[in-house]
Amino acid sequence: MNDMRLIERAVDMDDIKISARNVQVYYGDNHAIKDVDVDIQDNTVTAFIGPSGCGKSTFLRCLNRMNDTIDVCRVEGDIHLDGEDINDKQVDPVQLRAKVGMVFQKPNPFPKSIYDNVAYGPKIHGMAANKAELDEIVERALRRGAIWDEVKDRLDAPGTGLSGGQQQRLCIARAVATEPEVLLMDEPCSALDPIATAQVEELIDELRQNYSVVIVTHSMQQAARVSQKTAFFHLGNLVEYGETGSIFTNPEDERTESYITGRIG
Amino acid sequence: MIFALFLLVLAAAVVAYVMARQRATALSSAAGQRLHSRPQHHGLHSALWVLIAGWGALIVLTAVGEALIQRALMARISDALPDEGPLQWNLVLSDARSFAQGAVSSEMDPLRERIAGAFSWMNGTRLWVTTLVTLVGAAAAGWWTYKGITVEARARVQSETIIRRGLAVMATVAVLTTIGIVFSLIFETVRFFNAIDWQLHKFLLGTTWSPLSGVFEGEMDADKVGIVPLFAGTLMITLIAMMVAVPVGLFAAIYLADFANHRVRAVVKPVMELLAGIPTVVYGFFAAITVAPLLRDTGESLGIQVASESALAAGLVMGIMIIPFISSLSDDVITSVPQSLRDGSLSLGATRAETIRKVVLPAALPGIVSAIVLGVSKAIGETMIVVMAAGQGPNLTGNPLEAMTTVTVQIVALITGDTEAKTAAGPAFTLGFTLFVLTLLMNMLAQRLVARFREAYD
Repeated sequence: MNDMRLIERAVDMDDIKISARNVQVYYGDNHAIKDVDVDIQDNTVTAFIGPSGCGKSTFLRCLNRMNDTIDVCRVEGDIHLDGEDINDKQVDPVQLRAKVGMVFQKPNPFPKSIYDNVAYGPKIHGMAANKAELDEIVERALRRGAIWDEVKDRLDAPGTGLSGGQQQRLCIARAVATEPEVLLMDEPCSALDPIATAQVEELIDELRQNYSVVIVTHSMQQAARVSQKTAFFHLGNLVEYGETGSIFTNPEDERTESYITGRIG
Repeated sequence: MIFALFLLVLAAAVVAYVMARQRATALSSAAGQRLHSRPQHHGLHSALWVLIAGWGALIVLTAVGEALIQRALMARISDALPDEGPLQWNLVLSDARSFAQGAVSSEMDPLRERIAGAFSWMNGTRLWVTTLVTLVGAAAAGWWTYKGITVEARARVQSETIIRRGLAVMATVAVLTTIGIVFSLIFETVRFFNAIDWQLHKFLLGTTWSPLSGVFEGEMDADKVGIVPLFAGTLMITLIAMMVAVPVGLFAAIYLADFANHRVRAVVKPVMELLAGIPTVVYGFFAAITVAPLLRDTGESLGIQVASESALAAGLVMGIMIIPFISSLSDDVITSVPQSLRDGSLSLGATRAETIRKVVLPAALPGIVSAIVLGVSKAIGETMIVVMAAGQGPNLTGNPLEAMTTVTVQIVALITGDTEAKTAAGPAFTLGFTLFVLTLLMNMLAQRLVARFREAYD
């Protein structure tokens, strides 16, 4: 029994997808992220929790260099994806983002048809040689986004006409269509009702088979439901990081405990 | 005097406001209960009625008094000079009035002096009556509303109704003005077409434009009113202008909205908008004095014949004039495309250029199209630049290096020319009406296009 656990651990150690060391983020003069070290595993859902403004979304956006689009934002430290430094001058953020997909807080379908929304990434990256292949990619992505059955008869309808939950699943399908290796989700359910949330959570659990998923969430229940690993951020610091079960039942840091039991946040 | 009265009513309204508010406050504390409307609403109610009564009396009495005086004096003059026509009567009246007001009149005689005396007396009386009625009206309105202040008086509801009606009146004024202008255009246009016996084909398809040559008062020669050369000129110059303004304006807007950092933007955007503040007459002589000779000399050195007044010079300068309209409006719509759409595209591994081409521009398209339509309307209606740089002769040609004329230039020529207004007005109004219809059709077409290609975002 113990031997089995040991083997599992060993596998886990080998499967680190993203490793961040000593990451600092500044917004102008504001030091938003301080000395964050974290290892994110493959085929795992990692949840970032913490009070508003603690830097969890900012850190998430470091992982696909989305902070590059903000003029005043400056990122320091090492972030390695499969052992490669993503902040290296040689690395093209465009190629990085093809590998590290992202789903945003508010569903942001393009004002295009459902089909074109999903086909957008594959077209840009030249993943399909012809229309038939593209159709196949779109269908696969929509199936993986658990929305195929709802939209298969109206792929030409505008994506913006779907309901909030459908839009968010469309955005997830759009993100997985480019076959990323990591999927970042920034509070993907905060704009959704409980039923849509349940659908997206179920989907996240399925996505774990193929991707490393990192999810920022305000809901501790959600973190407990969907994640295997949890990181607690507070005031720009990574306070505690570990197995979700142990973070929620037996936190080591008292700030984590206060947050989980609702005393701060 | 009238203006002083106007201010006096305003002052009375302020007084009424203060008094009504005080009375309402006092009433509230005396009765020990809450008023239906707060004290300032009672004040507002009182002030509004004072303004309505005072200004209303002022406007009505001034207008009616003027008309009455005019009629009374005219009656006297026509009695004294039964052999003369209205033209002479009007002359006598205006002479008498200027004499009464201490100005110099063209000639004096006993009749004029008598009329001047009568005018002085009537005008004085009118002033007194106006002053009296205005002040009494304002005071009565103030007193009436002051007495009407009770605990349950609905002053807020009533003053809101008054204000809402006031806003509706203003909106109606704007609409009625537009309708009035359109109707006067239509009226003159119909008269013009009557003069050419409704030979519309000669107007729309004729290639000779020379409406005033050899015609008598109010008559037109249908063979000389072909508008084709004018519209050809307008379209040619508009086309050249848009070929300059659309690429420059649109690309500048894309640069400003998506690539420039905020410091560059803070400098460049105001400077570009400054371009819109330059009077078009300055662009006009810039085109005529600098650009046109430059083009002619360049053409000469290349062995190309360029006229010293050319459609090209006018079009180029007009294009420069229109750049800020297109860039500023496009910049606004591009900036208003939500950042979340850009983030969505970038996070899928699209480059910035792909993001702009495939997501931002389609989403901003309706706004960009309306910016371009506005630019075209500006180009079609622009006058000063073409008057100075494009020439006056209605010359039907497809060569932008020759002088051409436009619809607006011909309107200027007709109205400022030395033909009397009655003859010149017909063709001028008709050209204006045609231009109006053209612009209207273009706007409708643009809205159609926008509705079809619209990619709505929330």
